[in-house]
Amino acid sequence: MNGNAGSVVIEFRDVGLYLGGKEITQNIAFNVRKGEFVCVIGASGCGKTTLLRLVSGLYQPTTGSVHVDGKKVEGPSRDVAIVFQDYSRALLPWRTAAGNVSLALEAIGMPRAERADRIHALLGKVGLAQHAQKFPSQLSGGMQQRLQIARSLAQGASILLMDEPFGALDAMTRQSLQDEVLELAADSGVTVLFVTHDLEEALYLGDRVVALYSNPGRIARIVDIPLPRPRNQLSTREEPDFLHLRRELFGLMEEIHA
Amino acid sequence: MKRGFNVPGLALLQGLVGLALFVWLWHLIAASGAVPRAFLPSPEATWNAFVRGVTTGDMREQLLGTVLRMINGWLLASLVGIALGSAIGISETLRNYLRPTLAFARALPASAVVPVAIALVGLTPGMVLGVIVFGSIWPTLLATVQGFAMVDPRLVEVSRALHLSRFDFIWKIGLPNAVPDIITGMRLSLTVALILAIVGEMLAGQEGLGKAILLAARMFRAPDLYAGIVLLGLVGLVSSYGLLLVERRVARWRR
Amino acid sequence: MSGWRGFIVPAVLLLLAEAGFRVFGYVGDTLAPPSAILRGFVEAIGDGSMVTSTLQTFATVLGGTVIGAAFGLVVGCALGFWGLLYRFTYITIECLRPIPSVALLPLSLMIFGFGYKMEIAIVGFATAWPFLILTYSAISQVEPRLLEVAKVFGFGPVGTAWKLVLPAAAPRLMTALRLCVGIALVVAVTSEIVSNPQGLGHELMIAQETLRPHRMLAYLVLVGVIGWGLNNLLLWLQVRMFRHRGEIDTEVAA
Repeated sequence: MNGNAGSVVIEFRDVGLYLGGKEITQNIAFNVRKGEFVCVIGASGCGKTTLLRLVSGLYQPTTGSVHVDGKKVEGPSRDVAIVFQDYSRALLPWRTAAGNVSLALEAIGMPRAERADRIHALLGKVGLAQHAQKFPSQLSGGMQQRLQIARSLAQGASILLMDEPFGALDAMTRQSLQDEVLELAADSGVTVLFVTHDLEEALYLGDRVVALYSNPGRIARIVDIPLPRPRNQLSTREEPDFLHLRRELFGLMEEIHA
Repeated sequence: MKRGFNVPGLALLQGLVGLALFVWLWHLIAASGAVPRAFLPSPEATWNAFVRGVTTGDMREQLLGTVLRMINGWLLASLVGIALGSAIGISETLRNYLRPTLAFARALPASAVVPVAIALVGLTPGMVLGVIVFGSIWPTLLATVQGFAMVDPRLVEVSRALHLSRFDFIWKIGLPNAVPDIITGMRLSLTVALILAIVGEMLAGQEGLGKAILLAARMFRAPDLYAGIVLLGLVGLVSSYGLLLVERRVARWRR
Repeated sequence: MSGWRGFIVPAVLLLLAEAGFRVFGYVGDTLAPPSAILRGFVEAIGDGSMVTSTLQTFATVLGGTVIGAAFGLVVGCALGFWGLLYRFTYITIECLRPIPSVALLPLSLMIFGFGYKMEIAIVGFATAWPFLILTYSAISQVEPRLLEVAKVFGFGPVGTAWKLVLPAAAPRLMTALRLCVGIALVVAVTSEIVSNPQGLGHELMIAQETLRPHRMLAYLVLVGVIGWGLNNLLLWLQVRMFRHRGEIDTEVAA
């Protein structure tokens, strides 16, 4: 997954977006290759969430275009899954964990008989197998987010968009979920576009990091992360390359947040 | 998909067109004779009866009668409701002791008290006023209790630290905090007051729109009946919207 | 329900009333002590009138609420899903809604005469508008995040409505039902007091007119208890139905 010449699956072609009279993003141009894990960082309001919504088709760009798998994005598609930051609002409170995962399977038209096995497998992958019959209100924040991830995997999409998914969680849960996501991504080969405001998280997770300025959101820098995989919470964070990148981008982060 | 209350210009036009369509539909049904004219007069006949009633003065007096009755009862109910509500609202003890009693009183249909009032006081204007007050006091009283009970505990601590007297607390912290809720309660109270005013007129035979439409129905004078209904609807509309505007202004600091 | 303290006040009031009547030896035709009220209950149950009138009022509450809720649900959903329809009808609705249901009593009486139809029509009218407004509110304020999930999963309008919007709105629809049943009871009793010679309201008036205060007050208490009981029953049902969701909409009837 390190700088391999896979085909381009996401293309931002000079994308600009105006919303409510405000210019949210400007001249966004970069590509994401198949199987890559790309992190987008920036201050709040820099439009990083907007980028995800553009890829998922929930927003349409004012100028420029976004292309997924070579085709222009006109609307949401099942091939692009999105994991929202506010997980409690994205889950169906009246369905159990199994029921929530089932929703994605119902959407792709899987016959009822096959669903049970797939649900069980997916919940197992995110470590929620014993909680299948629990309702979201009975699950902790971390578990709810895992459930959302399981549901997005159930969609069978080749592209996974994650919008600051761990922002509302405590540090320990965040770390274990980071590793889980890395494992899932490596396992299934999905392409991941991951938005965060946490520089270290971006460096830890990504193959590349896209840093954005704010107001309007513009690309400040795109950096390759030459750290070895699989990543490890202790050793990776002590790698000289990690520390070097961190120092290098620290200044940029301060600039971005100014 | 959230729709706000303030709909822009085009929507207003569409709404008015919709209203016009509704009246036109009414006209078609009345003209077709599918429903007997005695039950459904045409919009034109209703309009004529309305204009006639309002200009020749009969309906004017009746309107005044109903509205005055409603306002008097409502004002009195609001005063008592706010006063009592404040007293109950600031005391957690009182709230605990009175909660089931208040819940029961709230659930009691005010019109059910009418026979009791007749028994006590007789079929007099005073009885009607009393019923209006008794019936319409609850939304305001309960809203006041709620408004006071929901004062941020932090503000309560602040008032204690500043050694505010009980009266000062009510006047400077409790009431301002409760005002949005109180206005909402008063708006509901006004709706109840109108209903009870009409009920009172129908039962006690007092001059007003309630009695007027009852008579019109007895004599099968449909246009007058409908005109009266329209006028009562207008009273409800104007009073409700008037207070809604006040409510909006007053609740601006919230959220 | 809060603790025992809440019941002290009614209990004390009842005791005082009882004592007051006995001490002052008041035997009148306007009021009655609690003990006499109990006697009134026994009497009314005994001669069958209490049961009959209760069933009559219940029948109109049920019939009227069903009509009003059906109307409100269908139209409210339609308005919630199709913004254009909403924009065309909202002014008309705002004009029809403020008409006090009492004002329609003479009209209903004129058309249907005494009996069930007349009262059910009024109750239907009275419950239709609140139910419509609350349904519209519930449908149009569904969590936008859920609607986005529906879009991403590619559910069409029917799928979105069935799998996401309606289940999401269900608790608020239940609240609407609870509030409307309360309204229905009030309107039904009012209709019976003012014009319709059947049901609890009518019994109340008869008791007053025949100078039997113990019976009148018994019916008054019954009406209050029924109103309170219905609300709490539906509230309990609502909590049970939606407990697993974690959010409880316990908006109480105002």
